[in-house]
Amino acid sequence: TAPLPGTTPLYPSPMTPMTPITPATPASESSGIVPQLQNIVSTVNLGCKLDLKTIALRARNAEYNPKRFAAVIMRIREPRTTALIFSSGKMVCTGAKSEEQSRLAARKYARVVQKLGFPAKFLDFKIQNMVGSCDVKFPIRLEGLVLTHQQFSSYEPELFPGLIYRMIKPRIVLLIFVSGKVVLTGAKVRAEIYEAFENIYPILKGF
Amino acid sequence: MPGGGHCPDCGSTELVEDSHYSQSQLVCSDCGCVVTEGVLTTTFSDEGNLREVTYSRSTGENDQVSRSQQRGLRRVRDLCRVLQLPSTFEDTAVAYYQQAYRHSGIRAARLQKKEVLVGCCVLITCRQHNWPLTMGTICTLLYADLDVFSGTYMQIVKLLGLDVPSLCLADLVKTYCSSFRLFQASPSVPATYVEDKEKMLSRTLQLVELADETWLVTGRHPLPVITAATFLAWQSLRPAHRLTCSLARFCKVANVELPCPAASRLQELLAVLLRMAEQLAWLRVLQLDKRSVVKHIGDLLQHRHTLVREAFREGPVGLEAGEEEPRGQCGGPGQGKEEVASGSCGLPVGKRPASPALLLPPCMLKPPKRACPPPPVSTVTGDENISDSEIEQYLRTPQEVKDFEKAQAARQDARSVSNPP
Repeated sequence: TAPLPGTTPLYPSPMTPMTPITPATPASESSGIVPQLQNIVSTVNLGCKLDLKTIALRARNAEYNPKRFAAVIMRIREPRTTALIFSSGKMVCTGAKSEEQSRLAARKYARVVQKLGFPAKFLDFKIQNMVGSCDVKFPIRLEGLVLTHQQFSSYEPELFPGLIYRMIKPRIVLLIFVSGKVVLTGAKVRAEIYEAFENIYPILKGF
Repeated sequence: MPGGGHCPDCGSTELVEDSHYSQSQLVCSDCGCVVTEGVLTTTFSDEGNLREVTYSRSTGENDQVSRSQQRGLRRVRDLCRVLQLPSTFEDTAVAYYQQAYRHSGIRAARLQKKEVLVGCCVLITCRQHNWPLTMGTICTLLYADLDVFSGTYMQIVKLLGLDVPSLCLADLVKTYCSSFRLFQASPSVPATYVEDKEKMLSRTLQLVELADETWLVTGRHPLPVITAATFLAWQSLRPAHRLTCSLARFCKVANVELPCPAASRLQELLAVLLRMAEQLAWLRVLQLDKRSVVKHIGDLLQHRHTLVREAFREGPVGLEAGEEEPRGQCGGPGQGKEEVASGSCGLPVGKRPASPALLLPPCMLKPPKRACPPPPVSTVTGDENISDSEIEQYLRTPQEVKDFEKAQAARQDARSVSNPP
């Protein structure tokens, strides 16, 4: 069986994934703040060609505007997510708040497509991107941060109020705002988000 | 083949125009016979119409460079000249443009992007030499959209791996302030509005420094803060005649565009100044408001370091803005309260200084726009059973499908009637 999402050598999974996985405390002071996951983007291959016109006609929760975009946009209420379904049979699922919810949502979309008469399968489900956010609760001098960490930072107040920090290890992009709110994106597993935040927290405290 | 020419030697009609050095000739391409020759010498009046061959054309260096790139390089030089930049900047900007052009993504880009790239190269050059040039200025000069500019700018910085320093605020203040038309009397500028440039510059710089220290600059566009600071500096130098002038009128008289956020920055700056005034006993008794505090800006700036230290305190790490004691919260920077801070807090007016407000960016002092309850802990495993009824709620009934098809057909008919082929 495939390893559960969120497991890395640093953060082994618990016996049952019933509770949100929190990072183990490393040797140094932990921040005590856990980033919240806000969005998960995943893809899956339904394994058969689809007729988008039929799907748009026979499903209630679908919209299809071929002149604007070449996919059906479908939504379900629980978990509250949106899917882009392409005629090749590939599907993108966005809006879930956890890896498990994203997988459940993708399975529901596949079931809808099945019930519409297509031989849909559930192949190569993969989490493509995870977005998390948190608040360090103190203001940050972004001009100072861009001076000391200029090889990773991009701060252009004329364009965007936040500082864009491209961390190398793990490979995560962080949006850091003056209010102390931090958005972390680009992760494939949950542990990368936690690790990136633990890396940035001592840097931010210095400002 | 130009009409009707025959070679006198072989009779062929294949005559070709060929220029031999500076002389044009008509030559038979079959036997090589020269049919006609141009004039070898020129008269004095003829020579007046000749043009010298430029160095770049004679060396043939431009034969390697595509026309599109040549046009771009010309635009870079033109832009540098329009902005009156030093000549060394021109060479650097041209080098960046050539470097960018080596990437296939740029070569294949649309003309709009290549035009904007010109501005990006000039901007990067200026930033690296601490020449204060804003993106707004470049976009205005190139008639470009800031969104397109920002995309290309971020891409090119990443592509070329450049280190671009931040905009230097002090230099920007000097350049921007100098553009205000207030230093000489004119039909549009009343005598009481004319101001000495050096005095205004130095006071504006101090106000901008104050704004920076009190978190009004970080994360915001730099220009509106400078506009607000310039306005306050100008007002405070001759308050008797200038307090009646509004920010909008000031910008109109000075022939400078008023950026939208400047009004909000002005209120924030005034709130900071009012907080500072509270720390001076002899100003406290005057019960200043945001109009009367302008008269005392000179004194406040003179002691600004001490006053800021006393008027504000650093928030302890982890203290929520919401958990603030009521006294500390009122009249903080960004709240924009008009009354004297201590009066609105219920303290005996004029008896005690208001306790220090938290020195925080305005976005941290405002109450949150909407309540953000923590999300419930999810117990989803992803492998749950999916009931048929849950899926069926998303499918149309056969009747619904028929109705939908009918409606679609009716809409198609209506469309074809209103738009006859």
